Amino acid sequence: MKDRLAAAVKQSRAGYTEIRVERTWSSAVAFRGRRLETATVSEDQGGFVRVLNQGCGWGIASFTSLDELPEMVARAGELSRAVRLDEPIRLAEAAPQTADAVLDLDGDVRGVPLSEKKKLLDSYNNAMLDVSNLVVDTQASYRDEVSEVWYVNSEGTSLYQLRPEVVVSGTAIGRRNGSIEKGLESIGLRKGWNSVQGFEPQFRVVAQRAVDLLDAPRVRGGAYPVILDNELAGVFIHEAFGHLSEADFVYENPQAREMMTLGRRFGKPVLNVGDNGAAQGLRGTLPYDDEGTPTQDTALIREGILVGRLHSRETAAKLGERPTGNARAISFRHPPIVRMTNTYIAPGKAGVGFQDLIRDIKLGVYACGAFGGQTMLENFSFTAGWGYMIRDGKVAELVKDVVLAGNLFQTLDRIDHIAGDFTWNQMGGGCGKGGQFPLPVTEGAPHVRIEEALIGGDV
Amino acid sequence: MIERLLERARGTVDNADALWRRQEQTAVGFESGRLKAAGISEEAGLNLRVLAGGRMGVAGTTAAAPDVEALVARARASAELGELVELAFPDAAASKLPSIPTFFDRTATASLDDLIRMGRLLVERLSRPDCQVNVSVEREIADTAVGNTAGARGEYRATGIAVTADVTRIAGDDVLMVYDQYVGADMPSDADLETLVRSVETRLTAALRIVTPPDGALPVVFTPAGLAAVVLPLEQALSGKTVLQGSSPLAGKVGETLFDERLSIIDDPLTPGRPASRPLDDECVASRATALVERGKVGRFVYDLETAARAKTQSTGNGRRGVFGKPHIGYTNILFRRADGVHVGTQTDALGGGLIADIDDGLIVDDLIGVGQGNVISGAFSHPVGLAYRIQRGEVTGRVKDAAVAGNAYDLLKRIGGFGTDGRWLGSRFSPSLLLEGVSIARR
Repeated sequence: MKDRLAAAVKQSRAGYTEIRVERTWSSAVAFRGRRLETATVSEDQGGFVRVLNQGCGWGIASFTSLDELPEMVARAGELSRAVRLDEPIRLAEAAPQTADAVLDLDGDVRGVPLSEKKKLLDSYNNAMLDVSNLVVDTQASYRDEVSEVWYVNSEGTSLYQLRPEVVVSGTAIGRRNGSIEKGLESIGLRKGWNSVQGFEPQFRVVAQRAVDLLDAPRVRGGAYPVILDNELAGVFIHEAFGHLSEADFVYENPQAREMMTLGRRFGKPVLNVGDNGAAQGLRGTLPYDDEGTPTQDTALIREGILVGRLHSRETAAKLGERPTGNARAISFRHPPIVRMTNTYIAPGKAGVGFQDLIRDIKLGVYACGAFGGQTMLENFSFTAGWGYMIRDGKVAELVKDVVLAGNLFQTLDRIDHIAGDFTWNQMGGGCGKGGQFPLPVTEGAPHVRIEEALIGGDV
Repeated sequence: MIERLLERARGTVDNADALWRRQEQTAVGFESGRLKAAGISEEAGLNLRVLAGGRMGVAGTTAAAPDVEALVARARASAELGELVELAFPDAAASKLPSIPTFFDRTATASLDDLIRMGRLLVERLSRPDCQVNVSVEREIADTAVGNTAGARGEYRATGIAVTADVTRIAGDDVLMVYDQYVGADMPSDADLETLVRSVETRLTAALRIVTPPDGALPVVFTPAGLAAVVLPLEQALSGKTVLQGSSPLAGKVGETLFDERLSIIDDPLTPGRPASRPLDDECVASRATALVERGKVGRFVYDLETAARAKTQSTGNGRRGVFGKPHIGYTNILFRRADGVHVGTQTDALGGGLIADIDDGLIVDDLIGVGQGNVISGAFSHPVGLAYRIQRGEVTGRVKDAAVAGNAYDLLKRIGGFGTDGRWLGSRFSPSLLLEGVSIARR
């Protein structure tokens, strides 16, 4: 395949040409309530060509018919020539890479019968349904894939990557009359069959939570001191800050560049943030990004100061910085754009625990788990799965509908205490940007305290 | 392709239905006012569902020359693990199709240069100092063929075009983003593009001044875009799937008046000029409109074939399927209508749709952050504002930041304070602004 792509690249008359071909084998099982929805095996395959002519813009072609590869290279060349640019697009220097990067399959999912996958998910689904007869509905899904990706460009890079992935997730719906609540568990790993066994207790816990939330009051809206648990703190740093550190937001925008000037203070000295696509065995981990750049650990905030950002080769060239291996595409249907990988808040001092964060809070909210988050750059939202009131330094009653309304600059600067209990939170789902969803990412964080944050709700 | 596949399936399974779809997209993208990229995408896929031994299985492929034998074998293997279901596929007689134009020649024949010209025009019209303008234009041509072993067949060719524009203004640490779109099956007219430009300009101009948000339970005008948080719970609760599963709060409430009696909502796949319109659904069921809410009463839930069979009712023609996975329930075009005969206007110029004159203190909500991420079907929502304006003494006084609105969609729609005269399409939903009373606003 590499030779076939190299030959097609050679045919291109453009200054820069890259071809990515993917073949993905996947299987999926889903339950809704007691009923199996589907159990199916799929094969998806296709190619992507991106071409840059001198003085021109990008010409792009994606296709499912690989027989048309030479024609698609030619068409991408024509499209590029149709886009005339005064200021040329440049790509940052990158050493050519040649490698076969095969990630550990940890129990090759292709060798496991579909019936075994059904059995596993059935057991997780039943773990939720059997918690209580107030659990009226569930959605449980298992999905695995093994993706083969070939990448060749006109600068001599030639890569083959084998990327496994497995996700099990479950939603339990609790209902009593008009009240409906949900609990959500999701485990997503860049691994295989062996890594998703034995999660029954976790699924039981979320179903119990859906039931417990039926009796919980809605949180009262207002500004509170807030402690985020590890999972929500991870979603927080991804939404609140991570997206702004993606250089495609600033590289063409002088005002945005000024706002995100390296060296600017974003938080107190306790705050350290980074993105590490090279971390071992995480869902956002890849040896190379989708431009063939090796991934790395990129420091973004060091002791409260902005020190770096995430790049593709194009954004790095424009800003005179180095590519960071963050150009990613969800599939051959899309061009690579600047994305996060495994984003983290680094742990505070070893030995600092949750108790140290909560002790001096008189009235506050302990926000736990994540249903999701979204950013509009300066402002963002993140939705906790559940929460507790904090009263007189102690965790008090369970509350629901905990949604934090954040302002980037104010919220980051109000992080005043970070525990040492760091964990990576490997969830399914993923990140969405520019019509590309879901991209596998991981977030990691310890418990984090925000002096004051706005929580929506009845006032 | 469909014939060959169904022919192969016949004899080895009880019944089967299939969908073949080929899509061709052309897109151009302007970044910060500059044309940066032009792209095409071509994709074809085949989806097969079989009933074998009374059990259902599915399989799909994007292979250029699909191995139909292998596809049937994979669907049969899927059925071996599948659930029993008594699925009756529509026959040839049932698939007498309504006539609805889905293909517009002007859209299909628009050249790359035409698309670039349109994008450039928007960039020029929207440019202003200190603002970054991104514009994208995407044209799609899709061929769909569906069929089943009961003899039903359908095929159609459809066009679609989406023009989106967003303007970002950064001043110090203040980030303002205003976004709008034109989506249709036919090309936008000059007037359509002008409407898009004015909509962005109106909202941008009113947002330049920042004012303190109010707090408390206040009247809020939800614009057609801002309405998403209120509509989403209804869409989930009116799906036959959640009704069947017992998780819909509207289950068992058909015929009950739960909403303002002036409110009607329909799902209409036969709306001319919309990209979601089509003569039949992806399961060979002929298209027709479904009254979801009628004069405030809960009307009909929407169904695909399987959910309908399990709920012992009929499909409403809302079956949708992709290349992979099995068919599921999908809405087509959702239209909010006034049931009291008053025409919903389409004057999109004035912010607030003519609903703000009598408001002493409140908000216009045009965009909320994080819609769809909470416990949606319960109706409860709580979101920070993405783009919202304060109303004081009947006038828009400026943009508010750092505020969050919360409420329950079902409760708020019991009494609608007013329907705006600014009805418009946003994606596949048509609605005017709605004035809803007693929405909780929290501020820091």
